[in-house]
Amino acid sequence: MSLGTLVLAVLILSAAAFVAGRRFALSRAGGDPRRLHSLPGHYGQHAALLTAVPALALLVLWLGVQPLVIELRVATLLPATDDATTASLAMAEVRRISEGLDRLVVAEGLSDRDLAALTPEGLAPRLRAVGAAVADITPQTLDAARAHRALQASFGLWMSVLVLGASLGGVALALLRTAPDFRARNVSERFIMWILIAASLVAVATTVGIVLSLVFETMHFFRLYPAQDFFFSLTWNPQFRGGSDLGIWPLLWGTIYISIIALVVAVPIGLLTAIYLSEYAGPRTRGWAKPAIEILAGIPTIVYGLFALITVGPALRDWFAQPLGLGSSSSSVMTAGLVMGIMLIPFISSLSDDIINAVPQSLRDGSYGLGATQSETVKQVILPAALPGIVGAILLGASRAIGETMIVVLGAGAAAKLSMNPFEAMTTVTVKIVSQLTGDTEFASPETLVAFALGLTLFVITLVLNVLALYIVRKYREQYE
Amino acid sequence: MDDIRYADRIVSADEVKIAARKAQVYYGTNHALRDVDVDILGKTVTAFIGPSGCGKSTFLRCLNRMNDTIPGCRVEGKITLDGQDIYDARVDPVQLRAKVGMVFQKPNPFPKSIYDNVAYGPRIHGLARSKAEIDEIVESALRRAALWNEAKDRLSSPGTGLSGGQQQRLCIARAIATSPEVLLMDEPCSALDPIATAQIEELIDELRAQFSVVIVTHSMQQAARVSQRTAFFHLGRLVEYGETGQIFTNPRDPRTESYISGRIG
Repeated sequence: MSLGTLVLAVLILSAAAFVAGRRFALSRAGGDPRRLHSLPGHYGQHAALLTAVPALALLVLWLGVQPLVIELRVATLLPATDDATTASLAMAEVRRISEGLDRLVVAEGLSDRDLAALTPEGLAPRLRAVGAAVADITPQTLDAARAHRALQASFGLWMSVLVLGASLGGVALALLRTAPDFRARNVSERFIMWILIAASLVAVATTVGIVLSLVFETMHFFRLYPAQDFFFSLTWNPQFRGGSDLGIWPLLWGTIYISIIALVVAVPIGLLTAIYLSEYAGPRTRGWAKPAIEILAGIPTIVYGLFALITVGPALRDWFAQPLGLGSSSSSVMTAGLVMGIMLIPFISSLSDDIINAVPQSLRDGSYGLGATQSETVKQVILPAALPGIVGAILLGASRAIGETMIVVLGAGAAAKLSMNPFEAMTTVTVKIVSQLTGDTEFASPETLVAFALGLTLFVITLVLNVLALYIVRKYREQYE
Repeated sequence: MDDIRYADRIVSADEVKIAARKAQVYYGTNHALRDVDVDILGKTVTAFIGPSGCGKSTFLRCLNRMNDTIPGCRVEGKITLDGQDIYDARVDPVQLRAKVGMVFQKPNPFPKSIYDNVAYGPRIHGLARSKAEIDEIVESALRRAALWNEAKDRLSSPGTGLSGGQQQRLCIARAIATSPEVLLMDEPCSALDPIATAQIEELIDELRAQFSVVIVTHSMQQAARVSQRTAFFHLGRLVEYGETGQIFTNPRDPRTESYISGRIG
């Protein structure tokens, strides 16, 4: 039974359980819903949840564990090796052959006996003909692949049986528990709470997983490359032959410089836009201006990058950099910073607008009632009240600027440099992460592993910014409400 | 009722501070207030009473043009302050509101220190030349609002940290710090407990020495306690306006009598 059919079967069972649970509860109550503790629908929901959720959870668990168990067993058939990389490559080959055999069986209509009689000679071209990317086949790998295939088939069968069994068991248990005084509402509410908890755990677990993977690869990197050179060297000069200088500062400086320019552009414009929209604009202006600004936020950053490359970069070069004698490159920190600032405007204006709108009207009334003008009210009452939220918005904007890649690639170039000149090409941490990882190198040299150290540094910086933003917002909110 | 302190009903000044003639207010197409004629006297406490939605708060907000901030609100007729039409195009609402201060139903201290809350008005109107002068204004406003003793040691702590009654006295201090000529109070005690209410009422009586005070209230006892003149509004009209004692003991209009005796409203 394929995975799709299995899931579908469980869902159909669950739908049937809903109807059955509801009917059964009603019949136990003699057809009078008032004698039931909960609404009939709650009994149905209880039965449906009990049918579907444990079975599907079992399915997910099984699918996670099955490959590990199979590979552990198959590995005993392969020639023993100490090297983890060789072992995993051999295992990948076994998986590909096993998959190829599956296709061969379908394409050539092989029986089990034909399959057992297959020999490595001349098998590889036949497998490639059905679309399996196998290299060379040895008797050991072929045996391992056969075992792999057989195990997969039997495990698949067991999985179907157990999942369906769990599902049917759920129906039976639900119907067994159904009685007029059974508190189906409380049980199904609790069930739903656990489903919600499980959903939020996915996000938390993913974060933990990402951080751990970054941390392990970074530790790996620091074993190959000294940490003090990474953190304190002022040169970034990767050589794929080895002997690279991998100092983070030129990249970090580019990131900080571009982000500062972006924020210098975005914060005043975004904030003033937000003040205009929330305090001065009438409902009609607001009605079209706010969505129009928010369209800016929907433009993909690669399009901003094109704008930087084709329009802003050459314009800055021709009108500022060359006349002032500051450089002749069309990609520059200034180009990327300006365009990134434009990208951040809707982000900051939209968040600040919501925050300013949340300032209670009574404060405005109080200020106007004392004879303050509109701008005095904004400056002295509304902005101080909204400040924590605005600071939070700015720091969130900063996190985005720091993580931005495409605009920098197209706008600022890829040269890692430490310079104060804003019209010179520079690059950022994110761009270098991409360029160190593109191309088919395996993740074993310091030149590729440095990407993880860069990523972790970036992650820590944005994390600190976000924590700071949250801290500021919390601290001042208490004081102001 | 003998232990309730009634305000002195004798009005010393007879000058008319604010005069309204045929005042009308519309919210969009809704005619919220019709034909209101009132003379508010100087150095007097005038109470506006009436059931909810009768237009008393609306009329109060006309007196310092706070209705300007409400979209779709339109005021017609003539309202004068010291003989000048406050809806005249030459009148700047900002200056008008400096002369006609307002205290709101819910205490609304700014998210600033107690000191900065009181200093807000004097600063924006440039009433003081030096820090020392502002200090003086703040102290005297807080003293007059009977908040000085409680607040003098914590002037730099946030005004929002005070209790509800203290916050409302802070708002009154903030309003009187700009030395207005008229103080409008929109149900200033509705969010307060009886003790804080009594303190504010006492304060209102003291403020009468300097300003004319107009207070909107839902409590007829409060109107009787603090005011010398009372206006009764009903369904967007001014039903009766007169000396407080006469309104409460001998109303001319049967609707006033029904309201104060609890039959309507």
